[in-house]
Amino acid sequence: MKKYEAVIILNPNLSSKVDEFKKDFDKLLTDNSFKILKTEDVGRRQLAYSITNHNKGHYILFNLEGDPSKLLEIETKIKYNESIIRHLFLVVKVHNGEDSSLLIESKSKKPETVEIEEKKEAKTEKPKIAEEDSPKEAEESKKEGDDNE
Amino acid sequence: MSKYDLPKKFDHKDIDILKPFITETGKIIPARVTGVSASNQRKITKSIKIARFLALLPYTDMHQ
Repeated sequence: MKKYEAVIILNPNLSSKVDEFKKDFDKLLTDNSFKILKTEDVGRRQLAYSITNHNKGHYILFNLEGDPSKLLEIETKIKYNESIIRHLFLVVKVHNGEDSSLLIESKSKKPETVEIEEKKEAKTEKPKIAEEDSPKEAEESKKEGDDNE
Repeated sequence: MSKYDLPKKFDHKDIDILKPFITETGKIIPARVTGVSASNQRKITKSIKIARFLALLPYTDMHQ
């Protein structure tokens, strides 16, 4: 028995079918006497470079425990699964029980986008105020001009 | 005395920790420049290479 950390990048077009894929993949793992200790669905992420013409990928992380000889069978099945654009199994000595920084980042990003939208709205409001101010200033300057005359 | 916040364990998923160790063009900065200990530099290099394979970090700025 060895401990594994797996990263799987799914085709982003199949993001909506992630639950189905997860069921199938969990079955594949459990059929090969693998224990799933933890799964993290990071979600869609921008790839640093395009893989088979995809610019985004759906990341799923696994903490596994299983037999190295069975891993080969799993990898051959992954090879012919077209919805997986990249996968990696890493042997680790101890599993890190904490959430990965990727998951934390993806969680924290969602509120950020809302904030940015709010900021944009605020920015659009500001010019309006400025426009309202400017006629008054112009009037004032006119008055001043009158005084000078 | 290091100017980097180094964790006890390096992870290929902690991109924010690894990013200061690559140049704008994506190359790994040598230990002679970063001043990190040899053992840490090896760990950093390894995790950067894994992160590149997983498309978390770029190999170069010439992609596409």
